[in-house]
Amino acid sequence: MTKRIVILAFLLVGACAGVLGLSKSQPQPFPHRAHVTKGVPCTRCHVGISEDDGSKLHIPDDTTCVECHQKPHDSRPCLGCHTTEGKLAELMEAREHLVFQHKAHFKEVKGNCARCHVGVAEGDTRMRPPMAACFKCHDQQAASNASRCDACHKDLEDSGTLPATHLAHDADWLSEHGLRAASSGELCQSCHKEAFCASCHGQTVAALPATMKFGNPFSPSVHRAGFASRHSLEAHSEPGTCTTCHQPERCATCHIAKGVAGDGRRSPHPPGWVGLTASENLHGREARRDPASCAACHDGGGQSLCIGCHKVGGVGGNPHPPGWSSRISLSSAPCRFCHPIGSRP
Amino acid sequence: MRRALLAMAVAASPIVAEADPLRLRGDALATTASPAGLLTLEASGQQTSNLSAEAVVWVAGQPTPGQDTRGDVLVIALKAKDKKGRASGTLGRFVASIGALRPVHVDGAGGRVHLPQRFDVEAYGGVPVVPGLATSRSWDWMFGSRLSRKLGDWGSAGVAYLQQRDDAQIATEEVGFDAGAAFGKADNAAAKLAYDLAGEGVAEVSFMATHKEGSLRTDVFAVHRSPSHILPATSLFSVLGDYASERAGGTLTWKAAPRLDLGADLGARRSGTEMGPLLVGRAKLKLDDRGRSALTGEVRRDGVGADEWTGLRGAARYALTNEFGVATELELVIPDEDRGLGRVWPWALAAVSWDRGDWHAAVAAEASASPTDVRRFDVLGTLGRSWGLK
Repeated sequence: MTKRIVILAFLLVGACAGVLGLSKSQPQPFPHRAHVTKGVPCTRCHVGISEDDGSKLHIPDDTTCVECHQKPHDSRPCLGCHTTEGKLAELMEAREHLVFQHKAHFKEVKGNCARCHVGVAEGDTRMRPPMAACFKCHDQQAASNASRCDACHKDLEDSGTLPATHLAHDADWLSEHGLRAASSGELCQSCHKEAFCASCHGQTVAALPATMKFGNPFSPSVHRAGFASRHSLEAHSEPGTCTTCHQPERCATCHIAKGVAGDGRRSPHPPGWVGLTASENLHGREARRDPASCAACHDGGGQSLCIGCHKVGGVGGNPHPPGWSSRISLSSAPCRFCHPIGSRP
Repeated sequence: MRRALLAMAVAASPIVAEADPLRLRGDALATTASPAGLLTLEASGQQTSNLSAEAVVWVAGQPTPGQDTRGDVLVIALKAKDKKGRASGTLGRFVASIGALRPVHVDGAGGRVHLPQRFDVEAYGGVPVVPGLATSRSWDWMFGSRLSRKLGDWGSAGVAYLQQRDDAQIATEEVGFDAGAAFGKADNAAAKLAYDLAGEGVAEVSFMATHKEGSLRTDVFAVHRSPSHILPATSLFSVLGDYASERAGGTLTWKAAPRLDLGADLGARRSGTEMGPLLVGRAKLKLDDRGRSALTGEVRRDGVGADEWTGLRGAARYALTNEFGVATELELVIPDEDRGLGRVWPWALAAVSWDRGDWHAAVAAEASASPTDVRRFDVLGTLGRSWGLK
């Protein structure tokens, strides 16, 4: 049985190799390493790169290739197959979003391109120098301390550049970004504009990014897809989470606007919510479980609603948990609602 | 005088050379659901590498649900920093998020200064933002600050303080502690704690650690949150005490093939005395190297007690040409207890999008059945244009 499963798995992976990006029949990265090991100087193909001022890409064309490969095996353009899809766009993106000139570096490395393009030592897939290569000469600490990412990077947010040394943009970014940003807020700000945080955490958000970008199902969002259906389940499962962005009254105003609560509609509470005995009173336990949910509707009128019973000497008894203490003065809200000046705490 | 003018002109000349063009973006959204029409305008510009500004404003065809306003300002901020980046400041309306303190939307000013001995001080102050372009509230203000220190090249730690007053009464008084560290290239961790000084109790504690090994990433996390300490201290419900909610578990992310990412969350939730699972399995398959076309699927088991639910989600995006793309998304939510609100809550969307240069447009049909609507069908359309982006 196990043998069959293993065989089946191999067959499945083999059949799907192209889709998974494992197939060799697809366009492959340009064989830079093979050229370098045969002693072909980089400048022989990348003509004029030693004088590059940052305005051109210096990609060789077919006439450059046929100088050596005099009998091409195919009539199609060489880079149609001998480069991976999207590589050109990646280079153009780098050209637009990096402050860089080959000319200035060429003399410093004495024409040894591999000093920065270290990936050529291992293969052909990672030709762009890693940031670590820049910091062999440039002072990373000074740039980092001064938060000057823009000394080298232009329009980071627009380019979507995620340097490998940065944290927390893979895996579940949505869950962890708040924790990561707590100690790395300045790092976040080096790429993201104010509007990035405000588009979710702002109190004046008209429509969340997931609504505005409905055509992209892959953008991360707390409120994506059928959130409207499941939001009550999610809110009850992790009480307090909604309040980290929303004011408690947001629930009531939205429910009234959508016509699902308030405005004299029937009570959403189940039977046994408020009763004369402890066993008939579900509301106390539920209020402790999710006080923000109660505050969503009752924080205005709730003061009279609750303290009718839960007042000093009232039938509802003391609503505070054992060991309750607070630094708030009895004359301040909300203490003064139950503890009028002169009453005993 | 002439010499002074000449000096000013010389000083200003590199500013002009470094200036970025003004960038503008406008997006119009029209839906058959409320708000029926929405226009968002975004502008940003950088006068020099040290002075920039941005603004996002919107107007809606009708008041947005829960907000009695047809237009508002999301962000309008002027940012400046000194040449060496030792000090920076923001003035206007922005979201202030520092250390373990909760993010707050504020009309005011904020800034950061790098001090000797690798210490940093950051602070903000102002009036809390409320929806609507005008507010009748008085004596509402907030102030937050954080002192932090970098620890070598591997981490930082900070302590922060927040006080917010509504009608001169303390609404929030909180102290926060945060720390983050990277141990080599493979491991890092972060933690934060927020303590409510007004109600005297822990508002939130969270921890996360990550280990990377080749194409496999492993995270462990734990979150403890106390809802009554997150409420404004002026709320009557902050005096009830609460049952804390907790979440803990691990996440595995595996790049199984160049175009295939697999992931799983294994954890549990607790709210009061009730426990619940937190189980997620997800897969994403890119159909090309750049991920312009892709498929994703997700299975989820979540919730606590009577609010447990099972969810299935699938989404696909396919680039028909460089300009046109189609996308679809389907979600099924199956609550354990339907309470007469439907046994399955499906949601589906199908969209066609178009991108050409500075223009972007999309149209979609959305259909759903939810606890509030037996069936619902909406049409959405958006049209956007950018100016000044390279």
